[in-house]
Order: sequence, then structure tokens, then C-alpha cells
Amino acid sequence: MVGVERVLGAFGEHLVLTYASLFLSIAVGIPLAILSLKSKRLASFIMGFANLVQAIPSFAVVAIVVPLLGIGFTPAVFAIFLRALLPIVKNTYVGLSEVDEAMIDAARGIGLTEWEIIRYVRFPHAYPAMFAGIKFAAVLANSIAILTAIIGSGGLGSLVFEGLASFNTDKILAGSIPAILMAVFIDISFSYLEKRVTPEGIGGG
Amino acid sequence: MVIEMLFRRIETVELRDVTKRYGDFTAVDHVNLEIIGGELLILIGPSGSGKTTLLRTINRLIEPDEGEVFINGRNIKEFDVVKLRRSIGYVIQQIGLFPHMTVKDNIGLLLKLEGWSEEEIDKRVKELLHLVALPEDFVTRYPHQLSGGQQQRVGLARALALNPPLLLMDEPFGALDPILRKQLQEEFLRIKEVLGRTIVFVTHDIEEAFKLGDRIAIMRDGRLVQVGYPDELVLNPADEFVAKLVNVDKKFKHLDTLKVKDLMVDVEKYIVEVQRKDELLQWMRDKNIEFAVIVEKGALKGVTDLKSLLKSQDLEEALMEPLVFSPGDSLASALAEMKRRNAFLGVVVEREKPVGILLANEVLLKLL
Ligand SMILES: Nc1ncnc2c1ncn2[C@@H]1O[C@H](COP(=O)(O)OP(=O)(O)OP(=O)(O)O)[C@@H](O)[C@H]1O
Ligand SMILES: [Mg+2]
Repeated sequence: MVGVERVLGAFGEHLVLTYASLFLSIAVGIPLAILSLKSKRLASFIMGFANLVQAIPSFAVVAIVVPLLGIGFTPAVFAIFLRALLPIVKNTYVGLSEVDEAMIDAARGIGLTEWEIIRYVRFPHAYPAMFAGIKFAAVLANSIAILTAIIGSGGLGSLVFEGLASFNTDKILAGSIPAILMAVFIDISFSYLEKRVTPEGIGGG
Repeated sequence: MVIEMLFRRIETVELRDVTKRYGDFTAVDHVNLEIIGGELLILIGPSGSGKTTLLRTINRLIEPDEGEVFINGRNIKEFDVVKLRRSIGYVIQQIGLFPHMTVKDNIGLLLKLEGWSEEEIDKRVKELLHLVALPEDFVTRYPHQLSGGQQQRVGLARALALNPPLLLMDEPFGALDPILRKQLQEEFLRIKEVLGRTIVFVTHDIEEAFKLGDRIAIMRDGRLVQVGYPDELVLNPADEFVAKLVNVDKKFKHLDTLKVKDLMVDVEKYIVEVQRKDELLQWMRDKNIEFAVIVEKGALKGVTDLKSLLKSQDLEEALMEPLVFSPGDSLASALAEMKRRNAFLGVVVEREKPVGILLANEVLLKLL
């Protein structure tokens, strides 16, 4: 048996790890997407870099962080952040840039500034794509947060790896079942949030 | 709440030598045009003739390659572009409204950006809905819950939100079915009277042009072919193209059967028997009219208008001898005569007494 306290503690660490990295990705990803709107060159650079990171296997991203930042919680956050960034930047950028040009033109014509156009016209239309990206990033973060246990992040991943090393099925399950529940919770909560935020009259979802 | 507009009223909007090219193609070709404050100027011409392009140089959605635009004598490049656009209402055919915003948010967006409070916005939005004849409870609706005509009204309300002295309208009724279009035109005429502001209005519908326009500017292949009042265009078309566009033959096809008396307008309120200039001036001021038909013992003596009267020494000098018709004259020959003499009006006389006026403009409008 695994102690309830041990599982709760690991779950808490896992939560902090997942959400801290996810919010970092959102906080960096959305401004990057907005910045990409400003110039085509910047956009292709950012997208290129994000695609490159995406092409590297998660395990390798986690490993590569070690020589740069060492081991522990912070390097783990950084590794997850790198992986979660792309879906957010890419989806947000696509959402923001695919707004009907005629509507942008109308907005400009009645006297909105470029920033106001982003804020009041582009963003509401980008919500569906943006949320799809964030949801995907959250699921990614949740699964990589298990992997990062091997570089000392703690959390549910420690239980899973310990269980695997000692053929302890209880430990494996105690680590993986909460992680699965997390994934389900992420999906439901973000879908709910998206519904709340997306205005009526915007297609998709 | 008072909004800071770049200009409170429009004296003139002047396009000087405006040219816009796309590669080798010249969309607008050295256009010179002066829009007079308070008028509704129609821009009309075939598809691709450059109407939209020209219109959009006024709110700087398009920067001309050559030439300049002046509002009240000031080059619009001197103004902040966002301020300029907020001082100019802009109404377009489709997709003008934001689908993700309610009617209230669509109309109130600029007010919000200008820092109005919720209550002020609420009040103004309701005012505007009333003006465009929409019920107040539409505020919570989304554009897709409105008919095409209702959307167009919301678009107009939004353009009027900040009370801009100048309005640019690009085929605002173009997407509507013909009956609805007629109805909106009528309503728009009413609104236009209430607002009394300067409007540049693009259309490719000549009937709409005659119905709504004070003056009409005709474009073709990026060039301005002719600008004038409706009667000028019909009576003196610059070329075949204009003649065809205003379609003189069709307009006049039932003219043969009409008599002058069928289309003359009432003259009663303009008739006066006076001897002296100051007497007449006083009378015209009292009646608030600018035109008078002077009689002596009931018989026509001459006509005059306020402008000539003010310039003249005495009444005799101000009097003009008008073209005279009798009620039974054929309308076609009367109009032909007016065209030949370049007269915009004629007096209809029966046994020496004036019984009506024939106004070229009025006649043409009725014939349409
Ligand atoms: N961005 C652009 N790039 C290239 N050509 C353009 C562009 N915008 C307009 N044109 C061309 O310029 C010409 C004038 O276009 P404009 O939209 O002003 O015509 P219009 O008179 O408004 O026509 P319509 O009645 O169809 O609206 C057209 O031939 C059009 O194809
Ligand atoms: Mg056009």
C-alpha cells in the first residue's frame, strides 16, 4: 500500500508543476502570437522555432534541459514550458490572423487603433482556436510532468518511476490514476471556460 | 459627454488630383472633386470604376499615390488617422457589423473607447436605435439574429454614434432586395433631413442616385466624367456615357402624353404684388422663402430670388423675365425649351395669371 499522504503530496506537486508551466506558456505564448501579427518575418521565425521544439521527442526535451539548467523543479518547469508553448503560440496566431480581412477593414474604417482591433475583433474570433491550443498544451503538460520526475521534479511521476523500478503495481497505479483523472479534469474545465468566454455568434468551439 | 471631433461641421471636402495605382493599373485617375458642406454627393459608375477606392481616400483607408485630400482646407495628412476616422462615419455594404458583439456593443464600441460611462452609452444607443426606427429591446441581439435591413440600420446607427459631421457610405443598401431598398431609402431621406450633415454616398443604382443625391458625380475607368445636379446631368450630359447612364430616352418615353399642368408645382405661396424692393425683402423674410413671383393686378410681371434682390438697387433691376408656358403645353417641348435656354424653372400662366411653376429638377424626379 501507498500512504494517502504520500499520494496527496505527490498530486499537489504535480498540480503545481503542470499549472505553473502551463501558465508560463500562456503568458509567453499569447504575447508571442500577437507579436507575430506585426511582421511576417518574425512570425515565420517564431513558428519555425516552435515547430523545431515540437519535433524533438518529449523525453529528449526533458533530458536536454539538464546540462543547461541542472535538475530539480525549475528545470522541469522549463522543459514543460518549452513543449507546451508551441500549440499555444501556433493556434493563437492562426486564430488571430485568420479573421476576415473585410471585418478588420471595417474596424479600421470606423476608427479603431491596431491594438483595439486585436483586443476587440481579433481576440474574440481567435478564442476557439486559442482554447483548443491551450487545452492541448495542458494535456501535454500533464503528461510531461510525469516524465520530469526523472530529473527530480517530484510529483506523481516519482511514484510511477519508483513503482516501475520495484515492480510495485500499487505505486504505479497510485501515480498514474490521479494523472489520468487530471487529464479528464483539464479537458472538462477548459471546455467549460471556453464556452464561458467565447461570445455568441462566433463559429466553432 | 462631449466628443472631441476634428471638425464640428464640414465646409468643404476637396479632392485634388487624387490618383491611386495598383501596379500598372490606375484605379483612380487624377480626380478633382469638391464636396460642399451639407450636401449629399452621390458617387456613381460601373463596377470597377474606382468609386470605393476614391471614397476610401477620404478616411485614409487608402493613401493616394498622387494628389491630396483637404477637409475644411486642411490636408487630412495633418490629422491623427484614428481621430480622423472617428470624425467620419463609415457605412459599408456587408460584414460591417461585428458578429461577436450585441447590437448595443456594436453601436456603443466607439463610445466605450472614447471613455463614455455605461449609462451614457445606454442612453445614446437607445437614442440611435430610435433614430433608425429599431425597437429598443434589440440591444441584446446579435447581428445574425437580425434581417439584412435591420443590420443595415444598426450599421448606420453605429456610424452616427459619435455624431460625426461627415458620413461615407459605400453601397449601404446594395445587398437588400428592391422593396426593402426603397423603404430604407425613404427612411434614410428622413434621417438625412434630421441630421443635416455632409454625406458621400456610393451607389451603382441611378434611381437611388436621383432619389437621394443633391449632386451626382459620375465615374468611369477611374476618372470623374461629370459632376452636377440631376437636371444638369439629364439636360446637359457631358457625353454619350452619361446620357446613357441617366437614361434620358427611357425617362422621357411617357413624356409625349404629359402636359405641363400634370407636373407643375403650386405657385400660390410665391405670388406677391409689391412695388418696392424693401417691401419684397420683408415679405420674403416673413414667409421664409428665397424666390418670388411678382404680379401686377394679378398678371405676371417677373420673377426674382433673394440673391439677385440683395444685389440690385431696386426691384426693377432684380426682376427677371422667366420662361412662360401654359398648362396645356406639352411637357416634352417645355423641357426641351428649358434645356435650350438653360433655365431651371418656368412659370405656367393662364390668362396672364401665374398658376404654377415648372421646375426641371422636380419634373425629372417625378418622372423617375
Ligand atoms: N487592392 C487592390 N489591388 C489591386 N487592384 C485593386 C485593389 N483594389 C481595387 N482594385 C481595382 O481597382 C479598380 C477600382 O476598384 P473599386 O473597388 O474602387 O471599384 P468600384 O467602383 O467601387 O466598383 P464596385 O461598384 O464593383 O464596388 C477595380 O478594377 C479593382 O479591381
Ligand atoms: Mg465599390
